[in-house]
Amino acid sequence: MATATSATPGKVLLEMKGIGKSFPGVKALQGVSLTVREGQVHALLGENGAGKSTLIKILSGAYSRDEGEILFEGRPVAIRGPEDAQALGISTIYQEFNLAKDLTVAENIFLGQLPRKGLRVDWEAARQRARALLGRLGSSISPDAVVSTLAVAQQQLVEIAKALNRKTRILIMDEPSAVLGEGDLEHLFQVVRSLQAQGIGIVYISHRMREIFELADEVTILKDGRYVATKQVAGTTMDELVRLMIGRDLKDAYPPRQAQPGEVVLEVKNLRRAKLVHDVSFQVRAGEIVGFAGITGSGRTEVVRALFGADPHHGELTVSGTPYRASSPTEAIRRGIALVNEDRKAHGLFLKLDVTVNTTISALKGLCRLGVISRARENALVQKMIQDLRIKTPDARFLVLNMSGGNQQKVILARWLSLAPKVLIMDEPTRGIDVGAKSEIYAIMNELTARGVGIIMISSELPEVLGMSDRVMVMREGTIVGQLQRSEASEEAIMKFAVGGEAGRGAATDSTAARR
Amino acid sequence: MTAAATAPASRSSGLVALLRAQPIFGPLAALLLACVFFATQTDRFLTGSNFSLVLQQVMVVGTLAIGQTLIILTGGIDLSNGMIMALSSVLTTGLIANSGWNPAAAVLLGLAVCAAIGFINGWLSTAIGLPPFIVTLGIYNITWALVRNYTTATITDVPDSLLFFGNTFSVGSTQITYGSVLMLALFVVGWFVLGSTRAGRAVYAVGDNPEAARLAGIKTKWVLNAVYTVAALSYGVAGLLLVARTGVGDPQAGQSGNLDSITAVVLGGTSLLGGRGQIMGTLVGALIVGVFRNGLQLMGIGSTYQVLITGVLVIVAVSVDYLSHRAK
Repeated sequence: MATATSATPGKVLLEMKGIGKSFPGVKALQGVSLTVREGQVHALLGENGAGKSTLIKILSGAYSRDEGEILFEGRPVAIRGPEDAQALGISTIYQEFNLAKDLTVAENIFLGQLPRKGLRVDWEAARQRARALLGRLGSSISPDAVVSTLAVAQQQLVEIAKALNRKTRILIMDEPSAVLGEGDLEHLFQVVRSLQAQGIGIVYISHRMREIFELADEVTILKDGRYVATKQVAGTTMDELVRLMIGRDLKDAYPPRQAQPGEVVLEVKNLRRAKLVHDVSFQVRAGEIVGFAGITGSGRTEVVRALFGADPHHGELTVSGTPYRASSPTEAIRRGIALVNEDRKAHGLFLKLDVTVNTTISALKGLCRLGVISRARENALVQKMIQDLRIKTPDARFLVLNMSGGNQQKVILARWLSLAPKVLIMDEPTRGIDVGAKSEIYAIMNELTARGVGIIMISSELPEVLGMSDRVMVMREGTIVGQLQRSEASEEAIMKFAVGGEAGRGAATDSTAARR
Repeated sequence: MTAAATAPASRSSGLVALLRAQPIFGPLAALLLACVFFATQTDRFLTGSNFSLVLQQVMVVGTLAIGQTLIILTGGIDLSNGMIMALSSVLTTGLIANSGWNPAAAVLLGLAVCAAIGFINGWLSTAIGLPPFIVTLGIYNITWALVRNYTTATITDVPDSLLFFGNTFSVGSTQITYGSVLMLALFVVGWFVLGSTRAGRAVYAVGDNPEAARLAGIKTKWVLNAVYTVAALSYGVAGLLLVARTGVGDPQAGQSGNLDSITAVVLGGTSLLGGRGQIMGTLVGALIVGVFRNGLQLMGIGSTYQVLITGVLVIVAVSVDYLSHRAK
């Protein structure tokens, strides 16, 4: 497993010692230390709310620390703002990219510092340098491409190129893999390794154990805002890391499934969406989890959005034997179809509103008399959901904005479970969610199928697809290219379908372009 | 992601926490402070009849601001509201005075025309997807032209029945205007609808995140059309209150109604970004403006400075709101 190059530890670039940070009413960080060396990948591991984000925000100048010291090449430094961090050569790539979407790749890379010839911008030099920077990352994206036309994986490379241009010595990557499909992941790994070879120190945040063992040299674990341990990756095991991170063993990452599929609840025939989905047909039975695998941009999200009435489409749909026209989400919900979106912040949550509003918004009809909400019934429903789904919140009036990713996802689940759906569609149900909350969501899925709900699950994490699905559909370029029973599914079998028998990994990354 | 997720709201102490939990306390505290200040400056301020006067002075802009609040809660804005109000007032009085209509019929037609214009505001925003700022700016000008086309002369021959809401009744020694009671009643209705009904929830949801609202099964376009239409009805009522207060149908009225109503909404703590705010805050906001104008007047400070101080108030109020919501 541990193939990472941990041979000769490089020179220490950065030391953070005893870092503490408080927000009103809460200690976000306490006594946290982190050491980053030249040419080393240092993974930062911890559940949501463990303090990873706060720590890197202190390092990148977004927050100021309350306690502790930061040494850069042995000298104490003050990082008072993003400019200070940049001057030290510390760059951060957040999950939400910091790109001007309507500008070109070259313009983004050199934003504010385009090469000049006299008073005019030297576009030729800009293009050449952009090409060279991207070349170092093994990419051939055109410097003139407009960023919004690029796939997510390519936008990420533009972000990295931007950091390289700024003479970055420490690169912080906040869950870089969360936005990528399985096919793009390998290329990201190559990029990280080449940056490492160039002597850049990398702080790599991820929830995925596999990546840590594949990439990282050292790993620092945080829990509840406190420093737990720093381990050499070569000398540790996944079990140990999980135990350190959540303070208990995680034997059953995927709880055992005993599916007893009933009758067909959803039938899809010849579903089509211009350019994105071609003739997709499949069935979902009551009590069954149908997994959808495929690389980013293979059309999985587009299929489920069509089923939910979120986008215009063609095709024949049937719910429990009666024809169903997915004309709008309102209609889908009325027919018992629910969709947990891929991007819960953009498409799911009302961040500035509270747990109650977020939970009951789709079920209000049943809680109303003549349009007036019955507070008693609403409160009872919300309390039941908070208990059933173990949503961690001080009270039902807490703003969703202030909750962790896992709890936000549970609120979305609560919203749909309030409606007792027949078909629950979950697009990346555990993206950006810590290990503990993940297994809780898996348990909820099992409970729902036991009650006869049919689940469609899109996931870019193959272990999740394998662990939870009763059947796996593999999509590529807008069609279903393979169907596997639970017994015959394996990572290899899925990837073979997902990237195509004849096409290699490179082709897989390219085909994700221009789909978003 | 921040650790605030694990912090009980009650534990985060101090004023900031209180403002976040009960945002209306901010404007309310400002209103009370203003009252205390003016009470110490002039003994004519703290009387029942003076308060009744303030209410009467804010009843028109307050009613205009009800519709504006609904629209701003959806993340929109309405620049046309003062003009719709002016149209309501001249059309209703004109139909009665110049065309001999029955007052009740004239009132109903006036309100219906307002509602229709409001619907057009909503429809242009939802069907074509134009920004409300642009749509209502256009409708502002169009409605201005409609008003001027209908009449350029002030309509003075107004029947008594239209002046009812300008009349007063006595509570003890204090005279209270019916119109200000109507305004307060409309605020209570707005408060109930926004806080306790499905429709109210939809308004907040659409304002917070329109795409999430659509994907949660809310018919967002329908909601927006309804909001612009209902808002315009409140402008129509404001027009009738204006007639009752001034006794005439004035084609010059309402030109600053948009900015005055936005001022009340913003002072009341409602976010121009949509999804956050309370209609009772708007009432408090309108009263803050009214109390300052009235108090400064009683202190003998001229209208130029009253406007200046209103400007300062808006900036201070929004700064306080902004700072209390910025977690650092």
